[in-house]
Amino acid sequence: MFVLSTAGERRLQRLLYAAGFCGALFFLLAPVIFMLLTALSQRPDFLGNNYVMTTRHFREILTTPSLHFVRYCINSLAISIASAGITTIIASGGAYVATRFPFKGRTAVLLMILSLSMFPQICIAGYLYRIIAAAGMVNTWLGLILPYIAWIMPLTFWILISYFSQIPQELDRAAFIDGCSPLRTLVTIVFPLAAPGLFSTLLLAFIFTFNEFMFALILTNDHAARTVPVGIALFQGLHGELPWGVIMAASVITTLPVILMALLFQRHIMQGLTRGAIKG
Amino acid sequence: MGKRISRASSDTVWLAVLLMPALLLPVALILMPALCTFVNGCMQDVTFMPRRWAGLANYARLVQDPALFHSLRFTLLFIAVSVPLELACGLLLALLMQVQSPLRGMLRALVLIPWAIPAAIAGRVWELIYSYNWGPANYLVKLTGAPAVNWLGSSTGAFLAIVIADLWKTVPFVAIILLAGLSAIPEHLYRQAEVDGASFIRRFVAITLPLLRPVMIVAILFRTIDALRIFDLIYILTSGGPGGATSSLSLLGYTYFVGGDFGYGSAISTLIFLIALLVALLVVRIGRFGSSMR
Amino acid sequence: MKRLTVTDISKSYRLTDRTVAALAGVSLTVEPEEFFILLGPSGCGKSTLLNSIAGLELPDSGEIRLDSKVLFSAAERRVLSPRERNIAMVFQSYALYPHMTVAQNIAFPLKIRRIDKVEIRRRVEAGATMLQIGNVLAAKPAELSGGQRQRVAIARALVREPELFLLDEPLSNLDAQLRSVTRNHLKVLQNRLGITTVYVTHDQVEAMTLGDRIAVMRNGKIEQIGTPDELCQQPVNAFVASFIGTPPMNLLPVTAEIDDRSARLHVADRVVTCSSGNVRPLGTQGSRRGYLGIRPEHLHLCTADYPDSLAATVTGYERIGRETIVFATWEGNVITLIADATTHPSVGEKIYISFSAESLFCFIDDAISPE
Repeated sequence: MFVLSTAGERRLQRLLYAAGFCGALFFLLAPVIFMLLTALSQRPDFLGNNYVMTTRHFREILTTPSLHFVRYCINSLAISIASAGITTIIASGGAYVATRFPFKGRTAVLLMILSLSMFPQICIAGYLYRIIAAAGMVNTWLGLILPYIAWIMPLTFWILISYFSQIPQELDRAAFIDGCSPLRTLVTIVFPLAAPGLFSTLLLAFIFTFNEFMFALILTNDHAARTVPVGIALFQGLHGELPWGVIMAASVITTLPVILMALLFQRHIMQGLTRGAIKG
Repeated sequence: MGKRISRASSDTVWLAVLLMPALLLPVALILMPALCTFVNGCMQDVTFMPRRWAGLANYARLVQDPALFHSLRFTLLFIAVSVPLELACGLLLALLMQVQSPLRGMLRALVLIPWAIPAAIAGRVWELIYSYNWGPANYLVKLTGAPAVNWLGSSTGAFLAIVIADLWKTVPFVAIILLAGLSAIPEHLYRQAEVDGASFIRRFVAITLPLLRPVMIVAILFRTIDALRIFDLIYILTSGGPGGATSSLSLLGYTYFVGGDFGYGSAISTLIFLIALLVALLVVRIGRFGSSMR
Repeated sequence: MKRLTVTDISKSYRLTDRTVAALAGVSLTVEPEEFFILLGPSGCGKSTLLNSIAGLELPDSGEIRLDSKVLFSAAERRVLSPRERNIAMVFQSYALYPHMTVAQNIAFPLKIRRIDKVEIRRRVEAGATMLQIGNVLAAKPAELSGGQRQRVAIARALVREPELFLLDEPLSNLDAQLRSVTRNHLKVLQNRLGITTVYVTHDQVEAMTLGDRIAVMRNGKIEQIGTPDELCQQPVNAFVASFIGTPPMNLLPVTAEIDDRSARLHVADRVVTCSSGNVRPLGTQGSRRGYLGIRPEHLHLCTADYPDSLAATVTGYERIGRETIVFATWEGNVITLIADATTHPSVGEKIYISFSAESLFCFIDDAISPE
């Protein structure tokens, strides 16, 4: 970025960069590394003591039925994949209409959707519980999937709008002329061209629902539908002292796929994030 | 102008079919519960008691409630401390990520890790880090020769603990947004400034900061509203303790909902919403005003 | 083949502060197998009209028919969607689907119509041969040159054997040489297939070389419809006169006294007379302000003693092969004339210009001013 004019400045800058880079690396990674170390350690108080490595915590969390961790994982994956997938599909239809067909009140609809994403979760949580309870869906997958779809729809919608508006409208028009209905145009022309955008959106939607906490806390009671974040948050030891090794092992198992996703699809995620934010 | 002609073909139907589902669930499960909550703020609505209209009684209670006062003070203080810090650290990180270097790709990937980890898990990790006896936080503190800090057990310690853990989780997001803003600044402006003899600090102040302003405002807006509704991290780290010292507004509202006092919980939620609205309007207004001054 | 009838089509756009009429009562008929051109400056409504015919835009009023099939009728409140019209269109950007190969692009409209595979392959191959793109069928549009893309777009439009063929400035993205080659190709192709064609352009050379008939449009209205010769020789107003022909017609402000037989035009200190048959609008009488119009090719260089010659000063010239375009000023008016290539004027030189009264036009009360 900076092309420096003097040698002194250049040296200073290189130094600053090295210091900044190391600082950033420590800041970003230290907690994660500590998590991993604790998960693999015999005892949590290894700092200043001998470090004895073990995989016992991992075995314990995965094989102890009373901990329900595997079940939490299944719940989380099923709920997040379903919510993210359904939301992306539904939102893409809406975003397509919003970018292509000027209808009356379009601005109002877009603004409403945008403002919905600004609502603090606590303003929704109370009555959301009552609605879901009235429908008899507390502590079920569907009881979380439906609120999640509603909750990530605005963001998904906005990200997709920014992707769709980049596809030249003349392509749609050509498809109409060639005999396509709007739905067919969406599926055969817009979807393939927006595939990277759809993928980014799907990833973001997945991460958001996978990480969500408050709704999952309120709308689930036990392992029937409880998600991993809530499960880990409510994890209590049997004998007062918290089983840190086990908790961290669970955290490592949970974060590993998320981190892998973040590293693999870094570009997609960053693009989707900035679009959602800057557009809004 | 002639009379309006509606599209007779089935296309209109298709458009409605495509658009409606995207609106239906958010309206049913976001807007409706929110509106109900606002109305419910004026109800006496406690479990096992008849629900009835209470006018502004909940709000009258709100004004005199010391717990609410504490929560409000904590939340506002938290915003005032964490948002500027996030912005400063985020900008630094964004600048680092923009520098052409072989390490750039690595940094850009690693920055996503704290962002991608569920806040609940981050909370648990930080809880461990802040552990009084053998947490790495106190390990570092003791290395400098200072006495161990009671991170989660004292009100100042808990406040700092939450701010730091929140920084770790949110700075990456701010940095990513600001990086997008930085990348949008045309390279030739820097070249021109350099030709004009501006030092790199000068270039940063004269070009980067002003041009980054709109993106900064977006970041401030997002972060302020997010900080206002902070919940998960606190729920796990301190559960609002010690003695309600770190009970954010959201946590307070949650306590009442769980405790069965829906009316009062709704009133608190409404207050949070109103503050969020105020903040949004304020940030947008200040942003506009600032840009029209230039 | 089909006849296209457009009757009294209007369309206006509502902006935040005002309404803009894109089309104001446009009527025209395109005969079967005709190559019809919509010509006009940008913003004149020609593309809106084309899109209305295609079904991509919805007019406010009027009627559009293809033979007896009603494509759009405000009175009957009927409108067919584009896919119900069987119309083919070539877009300015070609609008090739970037994720499909050339063959898939061409086959796409056929596939949508559920034509069987063997037939599709036959037609794609025939189309590709006709447009000389047989060797790039497996390529993606991004790998093609501009000219190839353009031919793919045309092939995609033609393989469906449409009832009407629409082209929206299809040559404007090509470089000059390729443009004239493709122009000829297009003309030959249309002749051979005999598809009724409507072609939008702002380039009058394209219009004159391609069109059987041309509609000149301005501000959402049709100014004149006619064959290239008619537009050239009998323009109805100063706008058409100045829009058709390169270099454009000379227009000099005059006051005119017009009676049944002739018009006396006062320009600077001169009075020239032309027949009342050359006054536009026809039948105008009395003392009016207007423009004298004469085409550059009707002005000739002459000697100083030639009767009624104009003494002008040369301000510049352009040599374009077999002729030389000379720019001169006379009494504050810019005059363009075409001389033969042997003429070597020099800037500042005094020249004498003659013309015959038959080639003069007089345009009355026309809003357009000479540029």
